Amino acid sequence: MIRVSGVTKRFKLYHSPRDRLKEILFRKQYHRDFTALDNVSFEVGEGETLGIIGQNGAGKSTLLKILSGVIIADDGTIEVDGKVTGLLELGTGFNPELTGVENIYMNGTFLGMSRDELDRKKQSIIDFTELGDFVYDPIKTYSSGMLMRLAFSIAIHAEPKCFLVDEALSVGDAYFQQKCMRKIQEFRAAGGSIIFVSHDTNAVKTLCDYAIMLEGGKIAMAGKPKEVVDFYQGLLLKKAHVGPSEVRVDRRVHADSDLHSDVSTGEVDVTSLRILNQAGEDVDSIETDDTIVIRICVQSRRYLDDPHYGFIIRNNLGVSVSETNTYCMGVATQPLSPGEVAVVEFEMAVPLAPGHYAVSVGVANRGWGYGNFEEYLHLMHDGMILTVMAKTDGIHFAGVFDMHPDVRIRQGRDAVL
Amino acid sequence: MSCFSRAPGKSSAVSSLRKSIGLILELAKRDLTERYSGATLGAVWNFIYPLVSIVIYVVIFSSIMGARLPGSSSVYSYGIYLVAGIIPWTAFANTVSRMSSVYLEKKHIITKIHVDLRTFPAFIVVSETITFTVTMGIFFAFLLATGSEITYLIAFLPLIYFIQQLFAYSIGFFVGMFVVFLRDVKEMVAVVIQFWFWFTPIVYVYEILPDFAQQILIYNPALAFISGYQDIFVFQRVPGLSYLGLVFILSICLLLVANFIFTRLEKDIRDFI
Repeated sequence: MIRVSGVTKRFKLYHSPRDRLKEILFRKQYHRDFTALDNVSFEVGEGETLGIIGQNGAGKSTLLKILSGVIIADDGTIEVDGKVTGLLELGTGFNPELTGVENIYMNGTFLGMSRDELDRKKQSIIDFTELGDFVYDPIKTYSSGMLMRLAFSIAIHAEPKCFLVDEALSVGDAYFQQKCMRKIQEFRAAGGSIIFVSHDTNAVKTLCDYAIMLEGGKIAMAGKPKEVVDFYQGLLLKKAHVGPSEVRVDRRVHADSDLHSDVSTGEVDVTSLRILNQAGEDVDSIETDDTIVIRICVQSRRYLDDPHYGFIIRNNLGVSVSETNTYCMGVATQPLSPGEVAVVEFEMAVPLAPGHYAVSVGVANRGWGYGNFEEYLHLMHDGMILTVMAKTDGIHFAGVFDMHPDVRIRQGRDAVL
Repeated sequence: MSCFSRAPGKSSAVSSLRKSIGLILELAKRDLTERYSGATLGAVWNFIYPLVSIVIYVVIFSSIMGARLPGSSSVYSYGIYLVAGIIPWTAFANTVSRMSSVYLEKKHIITKIHVDLRTFPAFIVVSETITFTVTMGIFFAFLLATGSEITYLIAFLPLIYFIQQLFAYSIGFFVGMFVVFLRDVKEMVAVVIQFWFWFTPIVYVYEILPDFAQQILIYNPALAFISGYQDIFVFQRVPGLSYLGLVFILSICLLLVANFIFTRLEKDIRDFI
């Protein structure tokens, strides 16, 4: 369990460290205050995972530093009923000249493990890293992935009550990331609390029980991971928008009482969103491999010289399974005059695995580069839910979608390699 | 108010003390081995340097230059006088100067892992003590080999050394905080230690100084412990215990003041490193 209440951190910015001393001596202000964290409170219970998202400079690193005890908050309290360790990009304090094993002892001692404890756990720590004989080499020869393996293994073996994870995990290869994830799940199942800081919004949605979003050192939003992530992505789109009118992020409450975030400048309306089957009938449930048409009607209040339309299909974890838009598809579009309505239809077969999918649609203006837009005008999050059911005459398959494999089997005398 | 409560419970104070002792010992061990890591002789170099200086002082000053202590006819008396002062001075000066820059040197750790900034610099004291002990051992061997007398007075040695290192720790801790804000302080410490060395009767004898200089030097705390060693090894007399007692009280006062300043500056120190 970790309880953070009212944590505030102000950095005093000086031109040089000397000014700090001058301030003490002459009792005159030589600094400018910068509030990195402003009254941040949350609680992560046993066996729970909290996701923290936010842009660069939102205060995530400061919060991690305070949680790991490297810097001290100005106000507020942090209660932990045990140790806090983690795998952080801000580093581990390894000594590059020492070997892997020596660093296990050094780092382990810093994390509060006794000599006996380290003697006992040494082998288990080394085994987990799978570094083999490399652990007897100075770690300056290690790759960043190898360092990450060592750091993770020591941190998780220190028997923390709260484990901090940030982007550092992404340094490892896919195999080791999976291994770490399993270990983290074990840790969580054993009652540990996890704080997960990431830009990977999909990971936040899949891993966390709830999430908070930091903006300018404050908690801008807290709640279910999906809601927080949608809100955050809306804000990112708003930042990427360079058009003259301002983008608003609205949280609207749907009938199913989940929060949705719409991002809009208010200049474009999506007047209707329909999913049609091949017979042209409205559907909200189809079978794998059925062909659907996503039809949207867009009305603009102003002149758009290069409008583009797109859709996103996301699974129940909020992970995008397919998304594209007319710009990315290389479609040349006609300008849209004020009041004019554009009806856009995307027709496609849906080879997706059975499950519930959310369809979001968006409108933007002036594409550039590799799928960027100068103006993000409207994004309707999860406008419709599409249910995909198993195809009655289809093959059984698991995963994300049916790749329609062909199979040939040869054996005995015919088996020519 | 800000607090960071870790591992609450009855045994927390004891276990956290045991942990910081474990950390200090581990750091001290690394300190001795790391400095010469990569060198074939490794940690042995820690003891070759002091050995060489003993040989230089004794052989060059005493045998070759023929320097003598006033009122002594022994060939080695001046060499012994020199070494008796230089070994502890080296431990003292190293402790002060290294502690003054310890936060900057261990920046890569302090900014990554939570460490108690008050206790962990003690690893320098431990590592210097090991060097001191081995060098003293070599010095003893030399004394025995040259037929010099070693008396019961060496029982005072640990006491004098303790007071000396406590004093070194309190100065180092005090100065170390300011080095974080003003890097120049580190260089100033080096300069002050140079002066301090020559303002302490190590290469010369206190009695040869003119009266006014003797009066001033009384206020030099280093005189208390350096002359203590000289009393034990050269003059075979009981060291000035009340003088040492004053240095002890001074160290405690300095520690209290430094600790008070630390509690107010810790936040800034961690921000600045």
